[in-house]
Amino acid sequence: MGKRNSVVILSSDDEDDESSLSSNRSYPKPKLLITRTTSREPKKPRFSGSRSRLSKESSNADEITFPCEDFDEFFYGSKVSAVSGRNSIKELWVDKYMPRSLDELTVHKKKVEEVKAWFEERLRDSKENLKNNVIVISGQAGVGKSTTIHVIASHFGATLCEWNAPTPTIWQEHMHNASTGVHYSSKLDEFVNFIEKIRKYGLIPSSFSAESKSPIVLLIDDLPVTHGRVAFERLQNCLLLLARSTQIPTAVLITDYGKADSADHTARYMEELQLSLESAGACKVAFNPITNNSIKKALSRICKQEQCNVTSELIDLIAKASGGDIRHAITSLQLFCVKPDLGLSLPVCNSTRSYSDGNSHEINALISGFSLLFGRDETLSLFHALGKFLHNKRENEATMVSDPDAFFVRDKFARLPMRMDAPEKVLCQAHGQARPIADFLHENVLDFISDEAMEAVWDVASYLSDSDLLLSSFHGVLTRYNEAESVLQSAAASVAVRGVLFGNSHPSPSRWHTIRRPKLWQVEQLLLRNQKETVSQRFIANGGSSFSNLSDVAAEYLPVLKWLGHGGSSGFEADHVHAYKDAWDDSIEKMSLDDEGGQISDDEIEDW
Amino acid sequence: MLWVDKYRPKTLDQVMVHEDIAQNLKKLVTEQDCPHLLFYGPSGSGKKTLIMALLRQIFGSSAEKVKVENRTWKIDAGSRTIDLELTTLSSTNHIELSPSDVGFQDRYVVQEIIKDMAKTRPIDIKGKKGYKVLVLNEVDKLSREAQYSLRRTMEKYSASCRLILCCNSSSKVTEAIRSRCLNVRINAPSEEQIVKVLEFIGKKEGLQLPPGFAVRIAEKSNRSLRRAILSFETCRVQQYPFTSNQAIPPMDWEEYVSEIASDIMREQSPKKLFQVRGKLYELLINCIPSEIVLKRLLYELLKKLDEELKHEVSHWAAYYEHRMRLGQKAIFHLEAFVAKFMSIYKAFLIATFG
Repeated sequence: MGKRNSVVILSSDDEDDESSLSSNRSYPKPKLLITRTTSREPKKPRFSGSRSRLSKESSNADEITFPCEDFDEFFYGSKVSAVSGRNSIKELWVDKYMPRSLDELTVHKKKVEEVKAWFEERLRDSKENLKNNVIVISGQAGVGKSTTIHVIASHFGATLCEWNAPTPTIWQEHMHNASTGVHYSSKLDEFVNFIEKIRKYGLIPSSFSAESKSPIVLLIDDLPVTHGRVAFERLQNCLLLLARSTQIPTAVLITDYGKADSADHTARYMEELQLSLESAGACKVAFNPITNNSIKKALSRICKQEQCNVTSELIDLIAKASGGDIRHAITSLQLFCVKPDLGLSLPVCNSTRSYSDGNSHEINALISGFSLLFGRDETLSLFHALGKFLHNKRENEATMVSDPDAFFVRDKFARLPMRMDAPEKVLCQAHGQARPIADFLHENVLDFISDEAMEAVWDVASYLSDSDLLLSSFHGVLTRYNEAESVLQSAAASVAVRGVLFGNSHPSPSRWHTIRRPKLWQVEQLLLRNQKETVSQRFIANGGSSFSNLSDVAAEYLPVLKWLGHGGSSGFEADHVHAYKDAWDDSIEKMSLDDEGGQISDDEIEDW
Repeated sequence: MLWVDKYRPKTLDQVMVHEDIAQNLKKLVTEQDCPHLLFYGPSGSGKKTLIMALLRQIFGSSAEKVKVENRTWKIDAGSRTIDLELTTLSSTNHIELSPSDVGFQDRYVVQEIIKDMAKTRPIDIKGKKGYKVLVLNEVDKLSREAQYSLRRTMEKYSASCRLILCCNSSSKVTEAIRSRCLNVRINAPSEEQIVKVLEFIGKKEGLQLPPGFAVRIAEKSNRSLRRAILSFETCRVQQYPFTSNQAIPPMDWEEYVSEIASDIMREQSPKKLFQVRGKLYELLINCIPSEIVLKRLLYELLKKLDEELKHEVSHWAAYYEHRMRLGQKAIFHLEAFVAKFMSIYKAFLIATFG
């Protein structure tokens, strides 16, 4: 362990040496691994030699690269000795096999062509006649957005300038800076300043003045994180200005997170940002997840070059599990190819000697065990999960295995087995928070219950009421990160979901339903507004001499005042609804974003 | 000005409904030492009227010169400062506010304002140190933390200020606070008392009251004097001279609730329930408290219901009223009640008529 420490310290002391740093940084895992194996197997002569040299040279700052290289060499050397005939891995495959030319890109040809054409236009023509110089590329993580830009830029021989996000300031550092008088500027400020500069003066390529002939492309990959509306609006405005007035071709990359997750503010903001940039004249290209076939092709190409024989089924599996994320797929592949060694070295650590014989059968078993390691967790969108719950698909007949352990319930309470995973698992996959889930279920469940089944409706309603009770137990107390709170949350979600599933014993015949957004949310907003208004009115109502309760004002004074004012009752709906119509429209407009997510058809849910 | 305000008794001597309590209060104040007071009773029984009259008794007419202030309180809560905006009503000698307006941060308000008041303690002409009065409304809606901090500040500053607390139900005020106050229970006025007040107002306004008319209003008012006077005034606008069988216009939201009730009776199905939900939302949006909606709904349903179901329905209404208070979103519970009612009623209909 002591050895590993010394290496880390050396490399971090030597910050300007790019190569040793990167080679060390990119391999946190193997490094750990090697220290472990070596410390357990001190008989290897190579190791003891290197250690002695290391300790000798650690005093010599000039030759610091050497021990690191030596270290790498040693590391992979030892690996070669363990697995014969394997090329030594020097790089992450993701970097190593990064596409260098347009042909190698796995992104759909058409999309690449689109982006390429856009850049061609910008780079070839003189800059004056084109108005918009911003392209927005969106897509989920790992679909090759940045790679595409890199490749295209190099294709045109353009210099690519990137906005390097500054490292975040941690609290201790901030405290230290504050005491030494260094001013703190937020990352957003820095970004805005940067954009302003670009917009006004363009990029001044001071560092590469020699090649200043080559055109410049600006890439903004890393938008600062914004918290809250105000910060977001600042970011938006600054980007809008950029989109309107920049002279340099600029690519803004936006990573889509699960769109339908309406609870997530960042996703909503990002979508809004895209729209506003588009309206400012930016060209928008959306990258789709990479198809399985493309991923498979890329993976098998890598396999061929690495000369590791991975079965095509396995590649298929990896491709499927990656969910269109090529970076993930390649990393999985690499991990998998390393794995036989892992499998060998682990048992050595456990000092069980049986594996060293190369018992192929057991190794295979290990590999299959490891194959669980790769693959992203399957995620469901909120709406898919809701669809599952609401449709309440069950087996047609009880495939009851006469299980002696199962306890019997009365017919009244017995339900057919569900045709889906356990509700809690589905909830987990959908990242469902209890409150929105309960609200959504409450809004939509009535559509799914057959017209005759009033009893079922009550069951469902009472379970929802239970879950509301659970959710409110900690209301107002700031225990957001408390364990108890999270247990309570999941319990409430579980009660709501299972209540809906259990209660809906007579589902209405399956047909097309849209899942609506809870109207309750609008109602709450309006309520808040009206409450404020009523608060201001309560002095008028009482002759200005005293307060009166809000409820009294709303329930007694206001109706009477209205009555007196209008001279006659014109009915509750007519009067009130009109007053709230505008407010209603407002909020609907604001929410239109989510509504597109809300329109999910039945077959989509079926498909899943 | 509404009659409710116009004929509100200004002094303790003018009070018509709770004369005995008024006289006791007067005696209490004239003896120069006023303890903390807690007024509780149903709405429309005259709590605020008594409090206003009491303030006038203590401070004279200066208590009536009030100004409405929308003040922002900067509160230093350890690592951060909190800005709280709160409307207060104040004269030179008293401040009135509803701390529950600011939600769960109410505890800061209570402490901060009382501290602030204690700083500017008035000195009366004789050089004796006087005290200020703080009127807190809706104490039963205060959070538990606020009530605890209220208890502390009550003791700490008892020399310089007196608290008058006002609430509907004393059961939600902690024991500690109740024991530090003189509890004044204000009953809902009886129907005879309401009739008396209505006749008094009628005489002052120079109206001819047909026999039995005031009684009918009183019956309809659910023993709330405010309600009675308000509907009296609407009747006056609606039709004068009065006729003894004149319809007393209900509140618009009450009409709406009875509409909901008849909807529920007419059809019991998930679809209907969905429509009912929409109507309930409409009521809630207009700040009608959910408890009142539920109570009224039950009242309307019971009117139309067969005897044998009444017991069960009332039971469920009570059950869901309790949950509503514990829970967060009233609509979940209101709707569960409606669903339960529909389910009971449908079963009943099938059993009776097949």
